[in-house]
Amino acid sequence: MIALDANDRLLQGVMVSNGTGREKGYVNGPLVDFRVAEVGPDFTLDLDGADVLLVPNGCDSIALHKVRGSIRAFLDRGGTLICCDGWVTPWVPGNEWVMDNQYRTIDVRYTSRSDKQGVLDGVDIDALTFRDGISGWWACGYIKPAEGAEIVLEDSWGRAVVVVDDASTLGTIVMTASGPVGPWGGYADDSPSDVAINRLYRNFVKVAQDRKRN
Amino acid sequence: MAPIALIYNGGWAPYVMSHASKYRALIDLVYVHDIVPGSLDGYEAVMVPFNAHQKAMKALRDEVFTVLGRGGKVFVEGNSTWLDATWEDRPVNNYWWVTDPTNPPAAVTDYDHPVYAGLQPRHACWHTHGIYTAIPDHARVVQSNKAGEAVTWETSAYGGTLLVTTMDPIVEHGVQQIRHLDNYVDNLISWLCGVRPQGQFDIDWQVGLAA
Repeated sequence: MIALDANDRLLQGVMVSNGTGREKGYVNGPLVDFRVAEVGPDFTLDLDGADVLLVPNGCDSIALHKVRGSIRAFLDRGGTLICCDGWVTPWVPGNEWVMDNQYRTIDVRYTSRSDKQGVLDGVDIDALTFRDGISGWWACGYIKPAEGAEIVLEDSWGRAVVVVDDASTLGTIVMTASGPVGPWGGYADDSPSDVAINRLYRNFVKVAQDRKRN
Repeated sequence: MAPIALIYNGGWAPYVMSHASKYRALIDLVYVHDIVPGSLDGYEAVMVPFNAHQKAMKALRDEVFTVLGRGGKVFVEGNSTWLDATWEDRPVNNYWWVTDPTNPPAAVTDYDHPVYAGLQPRHACWHTHGIYTAIPDHARVVQSNKAGEAVTWETSAYGGTLLVTTMDPIVEHGVQQIRHLDNYVDNLISWLCGVRPQGQFDIDWQVGLAA
């Protein structure tokens, strides 16, 4: 079990919203005091004072590419980026998301490769593979990780679907290959899969908390 | 210029769908925050995917309805709160085809509609994202659930034809976890622009990297 220290003050965070209304579950959560940066015309991203930048599934790659300099500066002062999205512009330093449909979802299985920071502690990996008995529900495509990044979870074909990158910047990038984590819209129930993605989110935040401590 | 404008929210799934080889020549991505009066001129049809930026769409309503006003077609999917209708969220059932395969979430479908013509029930409804509790008086229901609530509706009262559904064929086809969506989407594209897409859903990801 991951124990977040109750005596630690909340992390300060910025959550990017794409105006869908489906990201509200993060805002009042117990782990991070989020302020919302909703994408719009002339989008800018104020990351002053933030420990965590959260980019949930379905975000705007065009807007994020416009503010990639702010994101890089945030990371280089030690911030943690949690990206649970696919990205179609190169705004994530060092790493690349690739969409691919050459394999059938019925053949998807996830396995742990390495986990130095406890990202998978308490996470039922089978519940990421299967939901309601159906495999391949969670991630899409895969990540081409940066040199020196840690591949935490891989799919049936050895491709990275969860990556922790402490190498590309002076901060930390925690990524899924578009697999949603935490109280993301559409997965609010008590199923094993919902428990797993909420545990994964909690562990991602723990990575940010450890980085802030150290 | 392609015949169809897809109002694009910057997300990966509509990007993947619209850049698949079979659809690429038929769809232009028009970034939602760059649209100004006239941006949709010349397009035969407009598509608005699931998880569109709702505030932006409210602001763009007149632009979209201008396309209808000149006789064009507009297809809106998912969770739309900017139409003359009331959308309500509901839990998504993604597993009915395993547990109860003869009862898709849309219990009644008008298979005479061109978008649904020739489809099997499981091709006509994979899942829904909520329902409409109110639709315009001039609209007709194309699909409904077991309780009779509207999943898909259509109206021609604005000039052209507005087709609205709580399903998500554009986004889900980009996700590629449901592999039979060519059936629905090919009918949809054909209905929107008169050209039937051909071939497989091929992804050339170098196109994506060049964005």
